[in-house]
Amino acid sequence: MSNEHIINHVRKLRFENGQMTQQQLADRVGVTRQTIIAIESGKYSPSLPLAFKLARTFGVPIEKVFQYEGDDNPLHEILKTEP
Amino acid sequence: MNRAQKIAWLFVITISLAAVISCIAFIVAYFMVGMPKALASLGFMGIAGIGGFGPLIFGKDKGNVTFDERDKQIKRRAALASFGASYMVVGAVCMIPFFILGPKASISITWLPSIFGAAGICAFFTHSVAILIQYREGAGR
Repeated sequence: MSNEHIINHVRKLRFENGQMTQQQLADRVGVTRQTIIAIESGKYSPSLPLAFKLARTFGVPIEKVFQYEGDDNPLHEILKTEP
Repeated sequence: MNRAQKIAWLFVITISLAAVISCIAFIVAYFMVGMPKALASLGFMGIAGIGGFGPLIFGKDKGNVTFDERDKQIKRRAALASFGASYMVVGAVCMIPFFILGPKASISITWLPSIFGAAGICAFFTHSVAILIQYREGAGR
């Protein structure tokens, strides 16, 4: 699956949560630091369980961490049709 | 660089080195002693066996987590690539002589272990290259 339209705010949220380091976040969600680096740079799309773990670690809903920015996003259609 | 990458690099280096040395030795031996005896120079491919010591040379990575879902995905894709490559090698080694020599030709049975070895080396090499590429490009796109 392509992640061309998936953006994430992991880096931003990491700094908002007490300047958490990549290693600290990796240890909390149970992955390697390399994986956190790959996620932050948009090179790797995590699995759904890992995405939920990240969101839970930051204490925010998953949509605040990952967002889909594709043209076929149903939310875009709803927003377009709303008056 | 994690342990898997270090082991992969060792495999790539040793297999490449072994292939280059074998090719040079084969060319030299071909002109010195002729074709059949020159095949003995392929024994230099044994150098590639040094790569097998990778897991002993490189210790486990530091940190609480050393293997996660991304590593698992990379490993699985590399295994698929290596299987595909070895299948292609065996297919090519079987089919190319068939088309060149014809259906009535015969080859020595001593070629079979060589084909098996070539497929194995190809599988290890492809596995290592696939691991290195995926880690560099960030697997899981």
